[in-house]
Amino acid sequence: MIFDDISEKLQAGRARDVKALVQQAIDEGISAQDILEKGLVPGMNVIGEKFKNNEVFVPEVLVAARAMNQGAQLLKPLLAAEGVKASGKVCIGTVQGDLHDIGKNLVKMMMEGKGLEVIDLGTDVSPETFVETAKNEGCQIIACSALLTTTMGVMGEVVKKAEEAGIRDKVRIMVGGAPVTEEFCRKIGADAYTSDAASAADKALEFCTELAG
Amino acid sequence: MRTVKSITPIRKPWAGTMTARERFNRQMHYRSVDRCFNMEFGYWNENFTQWPLFYENGITNNEEADVFFSFDRIAVIGGVDWMCPPFEAKEIGRHDGKIVLINADGLMAEVLASGRDTIPHYLKSSVTTPEDWKRVKEEHFDRNSPERKLDIAALKALHPEDRDYPLGVSCGSMIGKIRDMLTFEGLAYACYDYPDMVEDMVETCCVLVEDSLDQLLGNFTFDYASGWEDICFKNGPIVSVPFFRDVVMPRYKRIRKKLDQYGIDLWYTDCDGDVRPILPYLLEGGINCLFPYEVNSCAHPGELLDQYEGQLRIMGGVDKMQLGAGKEAIKAYLESLEKYVARGGYIPFCDHRCPPNVDPDDYLYYLDLKERMFGMKA
Repeated sequence: MIFDDISEKLQAGRARDVKALVQQAIDEGISAQDILEKGLVPGMNVIGEKFKNNEVFVPEVLVAARAMNQGAQLLKPLLAAEGVKASGKVCIGTVQGDLHDIGKNLVKMMMEGKGLEVIDLGTDVSPETFVETAKNEGCQIIACSALLTTTMGVMGEVVKKAEEAGIRDKVRIMVGGAPVTEEFCRKIGADAYTSDAASAADKALEFCTELAG
Repeated sequence: MRTVKSITPIRKPWAGTMTARERFNRQMHYRSVDRCFNMEFGYWNENFTQWPLFYENGITNNEEADVFFSFDRIAVIGGVDWMCPPFEAKEIGRHDGKIVLINADGLMAEVLASGRDTIPHYLKSSVTTPEDWKRVKEEHFDRNSPERKLDIAALKALHPEDRDYPLGVSCGSMIGKIRDMLTFEGLAYACYDYPDMVEDMVETCCVLVEDSLDQLLGNFTFDYASGWEDICFKNGPIVSVPFFRDVVMPRYKRIRKKLDQYGIDLWYTDCDGDVRPILPYLLEGGINCLFPYEVNSCAHPGELLDQYEGQLRIMGGVDKMQLGAGKEAIKAYLESLEKYVARGGYIPFCDHRCPPNVDPDDYLYYLDLKERMFGMKA
């Protein structure tokens, strides 16, 4: 079955094979939505679960995400033509004063692997930029990353700015990064802390589904 | 090397009856000591401008801070076991409050123009293909470069045989520096796309370290060996475990063989993050100590010291988050370390550079309490 093949090659990080199989599926007349939802996303889900269970680590996730991306690029125009919408929209970034982006990039990849549309704001992102982007782009999620104990406080500013902008009830604010904890998340009034990228993607999808309902 | 600047210490050295060298060696071999070895790993650059304790006393760097606090002395020497010559580091542009530069490893990176401490944002490596590596290897990794020859007499003058402090020999890095050269993502992709190229890089690192050790080991009586990898973060290793086991660990074994010939049994590596998935292979390769062992992204040091009792030593492991959480938290945390200090094979200090969010008064309280708990008993 071609969906299983796509999923397996994706899990093995074989980007060229994934690209070729996705193209083959398109040529066979399979819908882009089916290829995404029955081939690519299940493959990333397996990797995400293994990552959460410490069966694989970041390198395996990176190469799987690269393979996913190769396949997804082929599907993008077809999905648009089919009128398929993303499951939700996220703006993500590393907070102001912090240039570290490994964790942020991983979360982004895992979220895309769940079929979410992700706007990557990059690093050193001000609270205003997070909030303005969420407001202007209609994001359901603001996802903030920090590596440093000295920059994690900016996440509290993001929560405040979202309140001031009157969008607090329309967005869920997620926080993560090496020094961030559940306790810190509660203290600043954010909505969710997750300890790894795969859990962050699960949580984001859950929030988007909840807000859509 | 110790600074020549005149510094008036704010604290007296902890009382003791042994030399720092004797104490270190006995403590790390589970033998009785007069008191715990007293050291810290250092501070962020911002501490020197933000802590009145430092700027009011003219303390500007970690070496000066070691003297200021009268810590026990510990030193390490090593060879030229990486790029020689390095890439020419230079600024190539500025935008939006950031400086874009090429660093000594040939990486294009962004840093904050404000000078604020943060890990650089790496943009592009000089090495992505085997052709790039061939060129860079020829230009920067020539093992016969005259600059790799060490001035042993000068090093001996600096660290005489009758010294009273522990001296370590650096065993460099088998994969961490390669990650620095390729970028984190670049290394992950290269391991899949060009595994032979990455293995050749690891082999090159190993040979250069072996060459350095061949110059040093016969000329000094070392107390320990050190290394640096920094290849783990809060979700585990940034290289695949099979790659680490099959490619990196066998090179550690080669280094271990050389150390064994000179009776150096203690070998630490500096690896932050959650080391647990690769710890069995570090131990199998001959690395038996973690430094400066980071708590928040791994576990309480006692967890690993219990699990690997008698095999693993730890230096560090005082949770920086607790240092920043006030006196009560500091006390509770140090109390949780008591039995491990008493057991031996463990030296407590802040689990990386101490960050500036720690209140300097709380930091002094931490040093005082550490002395009361682990210093020589009256």
